[in-house]
Amino acid sequence: MTNSMNNNVAEILEKAKKLFDVRVEDIAERQHKLIAENDKTIPLLAFLKESGYSHLSILTCIDWIEEKRFELVYILFNWSNGVTLLVSTFIDRDKPVFYTVKDMWPTAEYYERDVHEFFGVEFEGNERCRLPLFLELWNDLPPLRKDFDPLKFSKEHFPDREYEKDAIHEAKIIRADLEDTRGDING
Amino acid sequence: MDERSVWEKIADQLRSRSMWMLHYCTGCGAVELPPSMTSRFDMERLGMGPMATPRQADILLITGYLSVKTLRRVIYTYEKMADPKYVIGFGSCTINGGIYFDSYSTINRLDYYLPVDLYIAGCMPRPEAILNAFNTLMEMIRKGEANGWKRYKENYEWYKQNQLRSLGEVIVHDEFHE
Ligand code: SF4
Repeated sequence: MTNSMNNNVAEILEKAKKLFDVRVEDIAERQHKLIAENDKTIPLLAFLKESGYSHLSILTCIDWIEEKRFELVYILFNWSNGVTLLVSTFIDRDKPVFYTVKDMWPTAEYYERDVHEFFGVEFEGNERCRLPLFLELWNDLPPLRKDFDPLKFSKEHFPDREYEKDAIHEAKIIRADLEDTRGDING
Repeated sequence: MDERSVWEKIADQLRSRSMWMLHYCTGCGAVELPPSMTSRFDMERLGMGPMATPRQADILLITGYLSVKTLRRVIYTYEKMADPKYVIGFGSCTINGGIYFDSYSTINRLDYYLPVDLYIAGCMPRPEAILNAFNTLMEMIRKGEANGWKRYKENYEWYKQNQLRSLGEVIVHDEFHE
């Protein structure tokens, strides 16, 4: 059983290499990463779906800001042998557009909306991609881009509690660096 | 504070003895509620029980961090509750943002948007702390000190401005409501 299963996976990976010239990285025994070109990604996904990797666990995105590109990662799972395949492709960070896979996996519509909201990637063919999903009335940079500063945003939008206590001063008193001149520090 | 009539005082005694709480579980702190409700700590012996809808509830428990999206719904919920109503903030997230102090989506302090009668410190607070807080709240109600709902009415403009400042708009626009 195990043997035939491994053969099966190896076979599919070989085929993928030949047909879609992908680069394969083995992550673990049952986890492989396939890096594909943009134009080959959708056919590759269709091929894998046909070959038993029919469950799209998630579609997510990684911001490689220094290389100026986004990596889109489709994680596919095969329920009959428990193998996970990660299909990844790189798109331009300045013009982040890709194609939808919502006709292959209806759930992808929501993953695409999620990626659009948090990274600003557009998915051609998914006309609901711009609807807000989590961030209502958002009007800033997509928040999971590396050049977005969450602390600054938080400071501007959500006021902090102001404490009157000077914790460093108190720590110095506790450590006996300073003499306590302000009375009881708990008061 | 203002002078309470005898009837108010009697009513407060009674109110403090039957509290229905709405636990709109917003954050991870909510996981401390099942042990508080079940046999070991059994909060029903204090006269408190869970309630399913805002219109019948007396206490609103905010159990942890509030994202901007949830806060809109919480404000709706709070405004639907009948007077007198009390708010308890659970955990450090409601006090000062906790570990989400720098998040783009969670607010940093609850009492800026809703009147909080009582905070329970901790990340997360133990059931003992929760029961202790409930006892304190009952005591406060009996003494007439838990009047967040009055504060909300008196300072409605201030609260509204704060809500608008952080949320932009309190009205919920999403595909399920429109
Ligand atoms: S205070 Fe701690 S336990 Fe409570 S919601 Fe925040 S992170 Fe979670």
